[in-house]
Amino acid sequence: MAEHRLLFIKEGRACYISHLDLMRTFQRAFFRAGISIKHTEGFHPHAFISIALPLSLGYASRCELLEFTLLDGAPEEVPEKLNPVLPEGIRVLDCYTGGRPIKELAFVDYEVTLEYPEEKVISQAKAALEELLGRESVIVRKRSKKAKSGWTEVDIIPRIRSWAVERRPGALVLEGVLAAQNPGLNPELICAALQQEHSDCAPGFTRFLRREVLDGDGKAFR
Amino acid sequence: MDRRLEKILRNVQKPARYTGGEYRAVVKPREQVDTRFAFCFPDTYEIGMSNLGLRILYGVLNEMDGVWCERVFAPWGDMEEAMRREGIPLYGLESGDPIAEFDIVGFSLGYEMAYTSVLNMLDLAGIPLHSEERDGRWPLIVAGGTCAYNPEPLAPFVDVFSLGEGEEVTVETVECVRRGRREGWSRRELLFHLAQIPGLYVPSLYQVTYREDGTVAAITPEPGVPALVTKRIVRDMDSAYFPVHTIVPSTEIVHDRVMLELFRGCIRGCRFCQAGYVYRPVRSKSLKTLAAQGRASCRDSGYQEMTLSSLSTSDYPPLVELCDDLLEYCRPNHVSLSLPSLRADNFSMDLMQRLQEGKKSGLTFAPEAGTQRLRDAINKDVTEEDLLQSCRTAFTGGWSGVKLYFMLGLPTETDEDVLGIAELARKVYQTWREYTPNRSRGVRITVSTSCFVPKSHTPFQWEAQNTMEEYQRKVDLLRDALRRDKSVTYNWHDPQTSFLEAVLARGDRRVAPVIEAAWRQGARLDSWSEYFSFQRWMEAFQACGVDPSFYAHRARAKDEVLPWDMISAGVRREFLWKEREQCYRSQITPNCRKQCTGCGANRLNGGVCDG
Ligand code: SF4
Repeated sequence: MAEHRLLFIKEGRACYISHLDLMRTFQRAFFRAGISIKHTEGFHPHAFISIALPLSLGYASRCELLEFTLLDGAPEEVPEKLNPVLPEGIRVLDCYTGGRPIKELAFVDYEVTLEYPEEKVISQAKAALEELLGRESVIVRKRSKKAKSGWTEVDIIPRIRSWAVERRPGALVLEGVLAAQNPGLNPELICAALQQEHSDCAPGFTRFLRREVLDGDGKAFR
Repeated sequence: MDRRLEKILRNVQKPARYTGGEYRAVVKPREQVDTRFAFCFPDTYEIGMSNLGLRILYGVLNEMDGVWCERVFAPWGDMEEAMRREGIPLYGLESGDPIAEFDIVGFSLGYEMAYTSVLNMLDLAGIPLHSEERDGRWPLIVAGGTCAYNPEPLAPFVDVFSLGEGEEVTVETVECVRRGRREGWSRRELLFHLAQIPGLYVPSLYQVTYREDGTVAAITPEPGVPALVTKRIVRDMDSAYFPVHTIVPSTEIVHDRVMLELFRGCIRGCRFCQAGYVYRPVRSKSLKTLAAQGRASCRDSGYQEMTLSSLSTSDYPPLVELCDDLLEYCRPNHVSLSLPSLRADNFSMDLMQRLQEGKKSGLTFAPEAGTQRLRDAINKDVTEEDLLQSCRTAFTGGWSGVKLYFMLGLPTETDEDVLGIAELARKVYQTWREYTPNRSRGVRITVSTSCFVPKSHTPFQWEAQNTMEEYQRKVDLLRDALRRDKSVTYNWHDPQTSFLEAVLARGDRRVAPVIEAAWRQGARLDSWSEYFSFQRWMEAFQACGVDPSFYAHRARAKDEVLPWDMISAGVRREFLWKEREQCYRSQITPNCRKQCTGCGANRLNGGVCDG
């Protein structure tokens, strides 16, 4: 079991670093910061770390959690040691001992920005999105590695705890608290649902930002 | 980040290749920069970032005040398509700025099959392809790397070729460009000045004439331009720049580890090997320098893997001491140390067993030829006994796989030599049967052959390549001979790429239109089977009225003017010819450490050679 935890931001150019590459990036960053952490056993030991809830490629986040075990030094010193040796767009906010079991991480608060090239579509899209999220059930087809056909169907509504839609210049902003795991909901599926049900309201570009991870009571998860 | 870029990054494979922002990527404030340099590698990010030369020159240039060097790689097909669709020109990874606005665009040329990517990158940047179409408003296009030793097929596209090691001459090039800007030189004036710098070849200042039989009649420089351009070298390796502080990619690359360069040059003198000849003289780093650089590189990058890289690593005299020293640091820090390019001898085997604790997958040896006679002819000094002894050690130690690499079509090769490969493979199999502690595990012996490509500046620069039919005949012969050997797998490389390489490696300026025609028909990333089309190239030759066979399959006469005769790698032409004659007598030349045979390369280093 890992004994320590990092809270970090992933944004800008770093959004395009994949989950696997991010782990490697941290392993190397720990080493160059001179922070000794626990390694795996065996002939080719590597720094033992794990990152909760893999973030999709291209998404930004203010609340990524990384588990590891510090072998010496104080956790409070980790951010200031690590930050100067991290790639652009990754910044450690906090490092602490312990942390709640990851299985208690229940929800993720997302901000989804749907950008439209034309202002006039936005009102229409707002109404469409509100109508959609107000339904009892919305079934979306989703790619699946497990299913024989390569597709499964998902009802997104039960996996949304709360939502709000707001209009901004050139964009529509959806704030949604979505199920984190077992099963979780990727906000991309809400966009897919919009595309499926109201194809004329599909945005030109969509930005995804994870703002906070929450426990079952909606409190910040650490 | 550019919004259009962000949009397309969502939909391409491996977007981290295109974003920059890695640890130690250099970003300079624009107002402090007067000269911008785009270092272009005409292949993917993963390949280009694995190139030590790129890392060295990136560091050297960015250490210069007012100079900002950025990296540019060839986009994969999906990215190229999206960039063209969205009208995004090729940009520097660090700034995202279009490279057409830069002062200098430099290409690294490591292999001929990247030539079409050079043209494609110029086009994606919106830079006119031909040197003559570019005046002072366009970036200066320079190119260096091993392929620059025969620059002629790219002569119309590149303004300046840089021969040899770039640490010093690249800085001089930048200074000359700066001076030209201050003094208001035209592009032609700039080129003329550049041509005066040792190691720089400006093709537009040389005129090439041809005889009726198609061979080169003369290469004539303009008045005031040197007739012979000699490559540059770094004299003192200990004080040479080494990229201890270097970029750590945020996505996996091919050589994702610290690459510690032990020495330049090679003492072996294999007659087919261009690198072995053009990187002479031999210059080593001291143990002390390497021990310090190895440690510092791991610490700075955070890599927990280090490889000792040089042409023939086990020829570094204090290699054992170096490994011991580095292991002192590596073991407690969980850094694994590896040796590439193993020689099949006892010494290397001992060392490898010490380093590779545990992992015992496959071993790779390159005897290159199947018989001792032919190995002598190509001066590959590996004996059958060396090889079998290495296999004995390996099999006894529990290894259960050996890969053997050979070339077909080497000068003086007979069918007996081809069949010798099968015999050698069988002997390796017998060795396994005798020495393996565990026969039930089985053994994998893989034999691979490729078609020999004669290269410029080697003793084989006058030789004819085997035709593809002849190569295929030899492949069939060998395959037949190995038919009943169930434990031996035979893989042969397609001769098509080798044939094209042979044409490009020894082509003259008349090959340039063919490269352009192939590119216009869609050729790019030709070293990737996903993109390579032989058909397309053959059509390009036809359309341009160029016979590829003239370049690949023709033996050159001793006194023929060769297209690259204005370029010297420091080794005398007479020496190369003498080596060729030694080959035809199946005579070896002792390695440089046993005896200096006076190749001439030490003249570049004040008479000193560490061979
Ligand atoms: S100068 Fe002598 S020792 Fe050095 S590379 Fe040439 S032949 Fe070998």
